[in-house]
Amino acid sequence: MDFTESEEHALLRDAVAKVARGFGHEYFQEKTNSGGKTDELWDALGELGFLGVGIPEAYGGGGGGISELAIVCEEVAAAGCPLLLILVSAAISAEVINRFGTEEQKQAWLPGLAGTEKMVFAITEPDAGSNSHNVATVARRDGDVYRVSGTKTYISGVDEAPRMLTVVRTGTDTATGHAQLSLLVIDTDAPGLERSLIPVEIKAPEKQFTLFFDNVEVPADRLIGDEGDGLRQVFFGLNPERITGATIANGVARYALERAAAYARDREVWGVPIGSHQGVAHPLAQAKIEVELARLMTAKAAWLHDHDADRKAAGEAANMAKYAAAEAGLHALDAAIQAHGGNGMASEYGLADLWGMMRLLRIAPVSREMVLNYISTTSLGLPKSY
Amino acid sequence: MNVVVCVKQIPDPAVPGELDPQTHWLKREGKLILDDSDAYGVEMALQLATAAGGGDVTLVSMAPNGETSGLRTALAMGAANAILVSDESLKGSDALSTAKVLAAAIKRANPDLVITATEATDGYTGTVPEQVAALLGLPSITFAKKIETADGKVKVERQTEAGYDEVEAPLPAVVSVTAGVVEPRYPSFKGIMAAKSKPVDTLTVADLGLEGQVGAANARQEIISVTPAEERQAGEIIEDDGEGFQKIVAFLESKKVI
Ligand SMILES: Cc1cc2nc3c(=O)[nH]c(=O)nc-3n(C[C@H](O)[C@H](O)[C@H](O)COP(=O)(O)OP(=O)(O)OC[C@H]3O[C@@H](n4cnc5c(N)ncnc54)[C@H](O)[C@@H]3O)c2cc1C
Repeated sequence: MDFTESEEHALLRDAVAKVARGFGHEYFQEKTNSGGKTDELWDALGELGFLGVGIPEAYGGGGGGISELAIVCEEVAAAGCPLLLILVSAAISAEVINRFGTEEQKQAWLPGLAGTEKMVFAITEPDAGSNSHNVATVARRDGDVYRVSGTKTYISGVDEAPRMLTVVRTGTDTATGHAQLSLLVIDTDAPGLERSLIPVEIKAPEKQFTLFFDNVEVPADRLIGDEGDGLRQVFFGLNPERITGATIANGVARYALERAAAYARDREVWGVPIGSHQGVAHPLAQAKIEVELARLMTAKAAWLHDHDADRKAAGEAANMAKYAAAEAGLHALDAAIQAHGGNGMASEYGLADLWGMMRLLRIAPVSREMVLNYISTTSLGLPKSY
Repeated sequence: MNVVVCVKQIPDPAVPGELDPQTHWLKREGKLILDDSDAYGVEMALQLATAAGGGDVTLVSMAPNGETSGLRTALAMGAANAILVSDESLKGSDALSTAKVLAAAIKRANPDLVITATEATDGYTGTVPEQVAALLGLPSITFAKKIETADGKVKVERQTEAGYDEVEAPLPAVVSVTAGVVEPRYPSFKGIMAAKSKPVDTLTVADLGLEGQVGAANARQEIISVTPAEERQAGEIIEDDGEGFQKIVAFLESKKVI
């Protein structure tokens, strides 16, 4: 077991950090406050091949894996610019298409995703939520097309991406009543597809939408993999999503701790830096430990996913990493805000505005409870309550 | 056109530096990174080689412990290969020793142009570029803020206190560049992956035939003592009585920024 970061990984980390820190949290704040997008940052990352690190070279990518994407995603977040669309575009969509798409599909979409194009991901529904067996957005085969009807909700970035990887129901298992799922790549401007913005209390450039599919026609060649095999395929893509979700928490946590430590070294109230009071230092130290543990599990999960040797171990690690990172991240951001006193609430100090994002990571892409359910049943063999 | 860029690998400036209490030398034990001020030279060299229709950019560096981390960054930007001189006996080298080592290494690459920064970030005498040029018997142009090459000549806009001079020299020549001569590119992921397999030729003092001429034993300078820099004075505060702008203009003029 070798824990020193490889030279390429260190260089990648350094290069991404330089690019992202060139923008920095003030840029992120300015964009989110004005309702703008962080396109300049996204494009800079895409043009250098950082968003496509995990896509094979044959399709214009970097030929790396989720380990490399995790480094990119963490460093961007650690610069104070957490980008949620990396999760749905580079982590899920590109990974699923690369793994299950046909040669034509890969040629059609991966080169764009290896650059600056985005593809978003839609699974959540108002009445399905954490239970994907209940997905009710139906796709019916009709000659050369599928006709899609139903509702999706909380879908991020639909306004920024030309296409969307969509989980649909193409049948029902008569024995269990569970949905038989399939994956379709649907144009976000397809006739019959309407969207309405969901206002949320998260300061981030990407927006969430409820989507209404009214008999939307989708060419049959937009089906990824085999009809009815969607759940397995989605599960494959969810690990990268969890891993990159974890890296956003890890990155923002590092950003917060860096700021807090600098502040606590400097600020004096009783003639000594506040960081010398253990009441200030220990919560930061504790958060630092938790964050480093979460980073370790995240790196392990990425490694397991890339090496594809043990899918169960990869799933467990991805879930554990996601859980640990969100919890550690919340503690870290909270401790960082506390160390700043009143300034912790000031826009200028760039911490409190990230609370919504960090808090989201306890809920999405998979909720803390669903992770605990998974670990209870999969890792501990406990009976299922649902 | 083949260009050599002298690059220094330095301790991360973000981490407070430490001096050895006995020798007063800067400690260089951990990982070293590419000096930011050398990224400009690397970029300039890459652009000049491209403009000249091709050619290789070779890095030349002297660093302890066979350190290549900083070189890999510059290789990831697009340099073709590197010569690293690493030798225990180089510890405590003064500027002239460093220049001798670099000059001997540069000779092996036989370049059309040598680019350096004006000075390193971690310990600056700002004399190495001129010493290298003198040792190689080449023309030296310093403080370049713009460089072009054509017809066997290098044309430089040379930064001065008052503005800039237009200077020309026949190639090969040694040119030191200021920060801002060009905007350095960020290494791309492809560049990073390619850097892994680019050749780094590691040489010793003996390989260069410089035994007994360089290192602490042959240094012509010795650091007797070190005192911390004085704390910065508080800035001057000007009350604006409606004429404040004039004082600001006068101040900026005195600093030659306008
Ligand atoms: C900002 C934002 C962006 C999002 N982006 C996307 C996107 O791009 N694409 C997409 O498809 N979705 C997206 N989502 C949706 C997100 O993935 C879901 O909100 C999340 O998975 C939780 O599902 P739910 O909201 O339906 O909660 P529910 O399933 O309704 O759960 C409600 C609560 O009950 C708990 N719970 C549910 N079942 C159990 C159980 N069996 N045992 C214990 N507790 C349980 C949950 O943990 C949760 O706390 C986004 C959400 C937000 C807020």
